[in-house]
Amino acid sequence: MSPVTTTLTCIACPIGCALRLTHEGRDIVELAGATCDRGAKYAAEELIDPRRQLSTTVAIEGARSARLPVKVTRPVPRDRVLEAVAAIHRLRVRAPVRAGEVLLEALLGEEGLAVVATRSLGRVGP
Amino acid sequence: MLGRMEGDYDVVVVGGGPAGLAAAIGARDAGATRVLVVDREDEAGGILLQCIHAGFGLHYFKEELTGPEYAERFVARALDRDIDVVGSAYVSGAGLDSDGTRRVRVMREGHGIRTVRSRAMVLAMGCRERTRGALHIPGTRPAGVLTAGLAQRFVNVMGLLPGRRVAILGSGDIGLIMARRLTLEGCEVVGVFELMPFSNGLTRNVVQCLGDFGIPLHLSTTVVEIHGQDRVDKITVAPVGADLAPDLSRCREVACDTLLLSIGLVPENELSQGLGVELDVVTQGPRVSSTLETSLPGVFACGNVLHVHDLCDYVTEEALLAGRFAGELAGGVKRPRDNIRVVPGDNVRYCVPHTLAPGREHTIYLRSERPLRPAAIRVGDLVRRKLGFVTPAEMITFRIKPDVLDRFHGEALRIDLLGEPAGPHLAGAEP
Amino acid sequence: MSERYDVVVIGGGVVGAAIARELSRFRLRIALLERQAEVGFGTSKTNSGIIHPGHDTSSATLKGRLVVRGNALYDRLAAELHFGFRRIGQLNVALEPADLVALERLKAQGDAKGVPGLELWDPARLRREEPNLSRELRGALHAPSAGVINPYELVFALVESAARNGVELAVDCPVTALAADGDGLAAHTPRGVFRGRFVLNCAGVASDRVAALAGAATFTITPRKGEEYMLDKRLLGLVRRLVFPVPSPKTKGTLIIPTFDGTIMVGPTAEDVLDRDDVATTARGAREVFAFVRRLCPSIDPRDAITAFAGLRAVADGNDFVIGPTSVRGFVNVAGIQSPGLTAAPAIAEHVRDLLAAEGLALVAKPDFAPEVRAPARFAHLAPEVQEALAARDPRFARVVCRCELVTEAEIDDAVDHGARTLDGLKFRTRAGMGRCQGGFCTPRAMEILARRLGVPLHAVTKRGGGSWIALPMGAEQEA
Repeated sequence: MSPVTTTLTCIACPIGCALRLTHEGRDIVELAGATCDRGAKYAAEELIDPRRQLSTTVAIEGARSARLPVKVTRPVPRDRVLEAVAAIHRLRVRAPVRAGEVLLEALLGEEGLAVVATRSLGRVGP
Repeated sequence: MLGRMEGDYDVVVVGGGPAGLAAAIGARDAGATRVLVVDREDEAGGILLQCIHAGFGLHYFKEELTGPEYAERFVARALDRDIDVVGSAYVSGAGLDSDGTRRVRVMREGHGIRTVRSRAMVLAMGCRERTRGALHIPGTRPAGVLTAGLAQRFVNVMGLLPGRRVAILGSGDIGLIMARRLTLEGCEVVGVFELMPFSNGLTRNVVQCLGDFGIPLHLSTTVVEIHGQDRVDKITVAPVGADLAPDLSRCREVACDTLLLSIGLVPENELSQGLGVELDVVTQGPRVSSTLETSLPGVFACGNVLHVHDLCDYVTEEALLAGRFAGELAGGVKRPRDNIRVVPGDNVRYCVPHTLAPGREHTIYLRSERPLRPAAIRVGDLVRRKLGFVTPAEMITFRIKPDVLDRFHGEALRIDLLGEPAGPHLAGAEP
Repeated sequence: MSERYDVVVIGGGVVGAAIARELSRFRLRIALLERQAEVGFGTSKTNSGIIHPGHDTSSATLKGRLVVRGNALYDRLAAELHFGFRRIGQLNVALEPADLVALERLKAQGDAKGVPGLELWDPARLRREEPNLSRELRGALHAPSAGVINPYELVFALVESAARNGVELAVDCPVTALAADGDGLAAHTPRGVFRGRFVLNCAGVASDRVAALAGAATFTITPRKGEEYMLDKRLLGLVRRLVFPVPSPKTKGTLIIPTFDGTIMVGPTAEDVLDRDDVATTARGAREVFAFVRRLCPSIDPRDAITAFAGLRAVADGNDFVIGPTSVRGFVNVAGIQSPGLTAAPAIAEHVRDLLAAEGLALVAKPDFAPEVRAPARFAHLAPEVQEALAARDPRFARVVCRCELVTEAEIDDAVDHGARTLDGLKFRTRAGMGRCQGGFCTPRAMEILARRLGVPLHAVTKRGGGSWIALPMGAEQEA
């Protein structure tokens, strides 16, 4: 396998260093552009298993608000964010619901990725 | 208690967002027994209720929460402390009685209009978004031009999409977060346009909200015309020069049905002005002492009504302090007046608070005029400390220990930010 | 649908509305057709809102004759219809020595026409009366009969009064064809055919096209665009009177307008445009307006602009009103109503009434004509005790929808009762969304109330009808 160069913007601090990362597969051969050690840690994470926190909303019936905010309890793989959102958007919730209530387990088939409500919404109307 | 408002209070807090809730808790913990929070929305929590993304609470709760979770925890803490919190209630006026008692006039759904008196008052009304008018964007006036915050409410609370093809003017955090949010909901975000040569949002948001989805960020570019009769059908954008004036010879059209504006926030101080509180022309918030007391005795201010913050945790920190001082004042604690004026110096856009007193630790919030790197802060001739990189997008908080002011004998304490002007560093950004 | 009327009025702007209301005094069946979602949404809404004294137009023109009468009719009209009207007076100011001569000529013209109270002021008097105007000004002509109104309020009130007295209003109703029909004409629209013995062409900027539909294409309209800039409340009270330069043949010039609500507005520009939908504001227009008004009043700053809009004056060839019957039987033009059309409108209505009578329309007065309409509730303007009493009686008065302008839910409901069907309709009736945040906070609440009242989903609410949708339903694709 021959080395590949990837460019990343470091998000460890507001400087936003442009990291030039030369790697063979998941092994970093060379890292340039970082102005502190945190850059190397960030680059490694982004290269091996980039993940993102994910929150969105789902439709809720019988509540004052039309949408219930939800989040995934742990970061989801960056490249599967849209897939995860599509799965979450298929959920339908009826009020009442409490913040923290688990709405879906094992999102994307991954243990520990749960979708939970982030707001308590009481029941209104019939 | 939720929904109870009876008699008069030690402390009345106007606004039930993160600032107001924290101020009420601060006041209660400082010994005020009767504390009231008045909020205009149905539920307290303020704008947090529509900020469904994570990023709140790392300082205060030591865990990263979403906006609604942060709000819910604060409401619960307030209620645990027997603080009265009322929603659907609007403070339409405030004043001081001749004996110095503070009063607010509360219009409340189902309860008519009532005047409530208190020993101390905390202003925590938050801020509003700047609108198209503030930028004088020429063109037609179709539907589809709206602020990013309104779009956020549409999407996150009302279950509506502001449009299908969306352009965003301004790269503040709300605009960046909405770019991602709308993409996740199936909209096409055609680009983010930023007048300045740097983004006004956090680097993390530029990378994770735009970069992850291939949304272009066009720096030094602005919208010069809006087109469309009934609904936006396109916008004209142009690059700007160093003087920020658009170069109309290089404009181009961008097809879209929606233009989101994320062009800054303005503290909402109409009630303060009605009261006669003195405002700072730069922050557009009240001038405050080291106890966060405005020019009117017994009237305190905190959160975005005081100055626009970028992190909610700082709002909480500041509001707990304002609430504490309001609570102490209501309990009869008298403090000597401040005798040191804070003067924003080189590269400093503003400092809050505006005055200090010796003998106590102070937290100074300040914002730089421009990105600087490497940067340092200089406080009079007393302290000089390295800061690394500073940018107008991120507020600087700086603590001054009591012994520092003990060594200061002047009346005006000047704060400078030193360093070399820094250019944009963002890899993903296109000119 | 096909209905027969004595009079079909095409165009629900101020002219059509004033005529419909005037004719509603008589035993007539009248239809008022408006192509947009609400009345007054064309030129009327974007008017400067000035009730002109009339000294700046020659009595050799029809507009010059109707303006003075129109001005005089406003006191009674405002008393009956309860729209805001205040005679704040007008100054034409002299920037150059030559302007002083022009002011004397204006005064002579106005005196001859019976314009009341005209008076020349020297610089000292001018400074005393209006201390914020430029110290370079050389004098002024004061016309105390000039007034200000909110033009859209006038149109809403006229139409409400007309409807109360039997006029049938049809909105979203553009006329697509006009055909001979017995001894009158049939107006074809997407909402049916409206047959009228008389069809009045009050179609404003589109009036030449409507005339062509009738086969009476005797004039063309050249829209003349005017851009206006509304300024921050910081400048409240900057000037007390309308401030005009000396008029040119084409325009009364760029003005400083203390609006009825007290905010200062500057403009308009005057630019002939080809596109009849061109209501875009321009960077050049803004530059011209501010460059000029700063010569009148140096403390006005372009940074003070909080919002801008543009409107189109319907200018006919010959530059005068085009009012009268045509070669097509029953088809009557009330066209080319450019400035001072708003002022003249009540006089135009009388003029058209007499003209129709001369054409054979029998005018039998209705004994039960009700001249008054109820004033819309304006919570923010009430005394605190009155506010408290109202809120105690009706909880909707304690529910604030628009906090910038302090508009309550009761007022929003009232506006819907009076015909508001769009967010702009609510805004122009209640001021909800006109304040500092420009609707950022109140739009969701206003949408919710409108949707509930109209019995439609939230996404069906529009800004001003047609394709001006605000938002799309979420999840439609997800469920599909």
